Amino acid sequence: MTSVILETSSASLRRNFWRGVWRVMKRKPSRMAGVLILIGFAFMATAGPLFYPDNLPRDVNNTYGPMTWEHPFGTDGQGKDVLAQVVTGSQYVLLSALVTALITVVLGTAIGLFSGFKRGRWDTVLMRLTDMKLTIPGLPLLLVLSTVWKFGSAVEMGLVLGLLNWGTVARAVRSQTLSLRERGFIEAARGLGLSTGHIIGKELLPTMAPYIAMNMLISVTGAVYAQVGLFFLGVLPYEADNWGVMLNLAVFGGGAMTTAAALPYLLAPLLAILLLTLGIVLVVDAMDEIFNPRLREE
Amino acid sequence: MKRLAAVVALLGIAAASACSSSGNTNKSASGGGSAVYTTIDGTKPGIDPNGPANPFAPKGNSFSGYNAMKLAWAKNHLTDPNQFYPGIAESWEVAPDNSSITIRLQPDNKWSDGKPVTAEDVKLSLAIAYTQGSTAFALQPGAAGAAAEVTVVDDKTVKVTQDMSNPSQTFARGVLDTAVVPAHVWSSVLPADIWDKIKAARGTDAAAEAARTEITELGKKIIAHNPGKDVSAGPYVLERVNPSAALLKKNPNFYNAANVAPDAVQLLNYTGNEQVWNYLKAGKLDSAPFVAVPADTMAQIKQTPGNVVVKGYSPVAVGLAFNQSKKPYDNVHVRRGLAYLINRAEVQKIASPEGGLPAVTTTGIHQKAAAEWLGAELNNLEPYAHDVAKAEAEFKAAGLTKKDGKWTLPDGKPWKVSMHAPAGFSDWLAAQENIKSQLIDNGVDAEVVTTADFPLYQTEMAEGKYDTGFWLIALGPAPYNIFQRIYGSANGWTNIAGKVTHNAPGKNGNWMGSAEEIEVEGLGKVNPGELTAKLNSVGAEEQKDLMLQLAKVANADLPVVQMWDYVNTQFQNHSRFTGFPGDDHDLLRQPHGVWIQLGMIKKKA
Repeated sequence: MTSVILETSSASLRRNFWRGVWRVMKRKPSRMAGVLILIGFAFMATAGPLFYPDNLPRDVNNTYGPMTWEHPFGTDGQGKDVLAQVVTGSQYVLLSALVTALITVVLGTAIGLFSGFKRGRWDTVLMRLTDMKLTIPGLPLLLVLSTVWKFGSAVEMGLVLGLLNWGTVARAVRSQTLSLRERGFIEAARGLGLSTGHIIGKELLPTMAPYIAMNMLISVTGAVYAQVGLFFLGVLPYEADNWGVMLNLAVFGGGAMTTAAALPYLLAPLLAILLLTLGIVLVVDAMDEIFNPRLREE
Repeated sequence: MKRLAAVVALLGIAAASACSSSGNTNKSASGGGSAVYTTIDGTKPGIDPNGPANPFAPKGNSFSGYNAMKLAWAKNHLTDPNQFYPGIAESWEVAPDNSSITIRLQPDNKWSDGKPVTAEDVKLSLAIAYTQGSTAFALQPGAAGAAAEVTVVDDKTVKVTQDMSNPSQTFARGVLDTAVVPAHVWSSVLPADIWDKIKAARGTDAAAEAARTEITELGKKIIAHNPGKDVSAGPYVLERVNPSAALLKKNPNFYNAANVAPDAVQLLNYTGNEQVWNYLKAGKLDSAPFVAVPADTMAQIKQTPGNVVVKGYSPVAVGLAFNQSKKPYDNVHVRRGLAYLINRAEVQKIASPEGGLPAVTTTGIHQKAAAEWLGAELNNLEPYAHDVAKAEAEFKAAGLTKKDGKWTLPDGKPWKVSMHAPAGFSDWLAAQENIKSQLIDNGVDAEVVTTADFPLYQTEMAEGKYDTGFWLIALGPAPYNIFQRIYGSANGWTNIAGKVTHNAPGKNGNWMGSAEEIEVEGLGKVNPGELTAKLNSVGAEEQKDLMLQLAKVANADLPVVQMWDYVNTQFQNHSRFTGFPGDDHDLLRQPHGVWIQLGMIKKKA
């Protein structure tokens, strides 16, 4: 009987939650646009490359060609369609960004939660470790790493960026944990003699889930900027349809900063990055309100 | 919502700046009649305001042809490396057996501080050349074309003899291509017994080794030396430097000062090609040396009033070189197949539309020089014109098989042509990307791999880490230098004291790994490394014969597939000055200060 009541109440909670989500999304159409943008990017990265052949067709008589219906963002220095390169290049960028975000969040949350909940010696050791990690400047380290590591696959790239980025999340999660562990419901859970695993997994984590989810999305943008920046600087191996390499070739090969011909080639990957960031910002805005009822403007 | 507004505002700014950058073009130059000649030094990107007036310092503010002078300026003639324009030397005489060169200095030349330029200045400069390891002043025992004795004949005459144990046809070039600095400013940097040390260093014992180390250390001291105020024997002397430009004023003591028209020269700072493009578009530069320019930018540069684009010979070409230690590149049919498969005209069109000519075939020689060296024989060589059927026949002859439209190795394993280039070499990268597309179109899997910078690229290449990579060849005009690029140390042959030895592939820098002896139709078995070494010492007629043999070997054996031959595309603005060298003039291969010092450049009336 008790289990039936519990299940019914959890099902109705879920219903209420999704109703709440829908309400929040509906209130600002921009949030819907954000979700659509992210779905669009996810589709682009997963199914987009299937629409193009492995070796994109080229027209050597139409290098840095203008924007036309056939080539909405013109062509590059090889006479290849720029839009096709943005689409095929999204796979590497988004996959590595996703890996980065996952590693950042999983590592950062695990270390932050454990450290904040356990306190004492573990906290000291883990936080000193985190502080040390935070003092290492990311970009110079990546530049050095790129001389020995070729970052051949998106997963490798994501792994390295993720391992470099978990520090801030760990610090933030720890401070949240420190604050939550003194709250009544945690005290009560402790008083009931519930296990540490239960308290962390069932009590603390769900409370922090929205915060962690937002951090994950923001990590995606950080990872995109970092890897595109590295490819733009030319320190990572060349891959023609990578967004960063496209920017590099547009500026240093096509003279996009000097003449208009290569400008669409420069703007296309920039616009993709801008749209992706916009989508993430809008979704984070919605999540903020979904998970924080005090922000609801009802 | 505020975040959205901010993003939209940012988008607006980006769009506005994009529009303004595309609209802000073609500002015409004005200020005709100015006596300040504005240019850039193509060898010195990034002017350092704190750099010393030291011609040996990479970041120094001594600019070749302006306030830094050489004994003479090598013309880089198509076939004769020993032709020069006068510099510090007025004339020179090479002994009939090439055993010595007697140099006579300009009789009326003075340093900018009023002291005359003497033979002692030249002697000290030659001692400095030993510390910098110049070709004629190499310290390695047995080095080809090394100087043996330097004698001051009189105040204005110096005689340099060649060590005839391993003579070189380019000895005179090695001597005359030396920077000259004032002894009264620089003598304190070298010890008084420098010539004893140089003599000791040319031996083979332990004392010689110690002397060589000491001289090498002196070389570092020379590079770091700050001589203080610039003392120049060139047409200009350094007036001041700031981060945006170096200003040089006319040196009234220069021997040809009466014919030096610009009162001052301004060398603008640049750190990348884009800055040079902007200078050219604005019509700021009276001349600029070769710089890679995208087609659209080139069109805009040409539209600027007064701007003229001139083209000349550039003694260098680029080829796709193979590491024959790696399969399947050890098989000549694979190399030939690739040569047939790659459409070189397309590669050049994409990679170097303004600065190159597609290679007519692979000879190892620039096509302009090849026409001189080989004459009609050039047409008898296999042109390797783009021909997919011939490529497939060659691949089949090599035992490769085509499965599901993709070529695989004879053992059935997948084959991927891995091409390497240094990051930042945009023309090489564009070329390799195009080759990659061409190969994939025809069933050969390919990839382009970049290396962080050029020095690392060279190191890794020498270590045999790459399957294939771009390699500069045809470095003329000296015939030995031309073929040394493909049948020299990178391919296993070392030439010490006139003795040629061959290292096994993978050893002592032999990354190309050609066979020591190559069977060539019509020539039989030849050792191309030995033929190359002979180019150093034989007479002109025999040289011609050797060049033909080597071109045939390169054409048949293809250690590299010659892609395009560089064209020296330069820029001039005729609004303020006249008298510029035109298309194909050999002075296009000189620093532009040489045009001025020879009295060619005149103020526009």
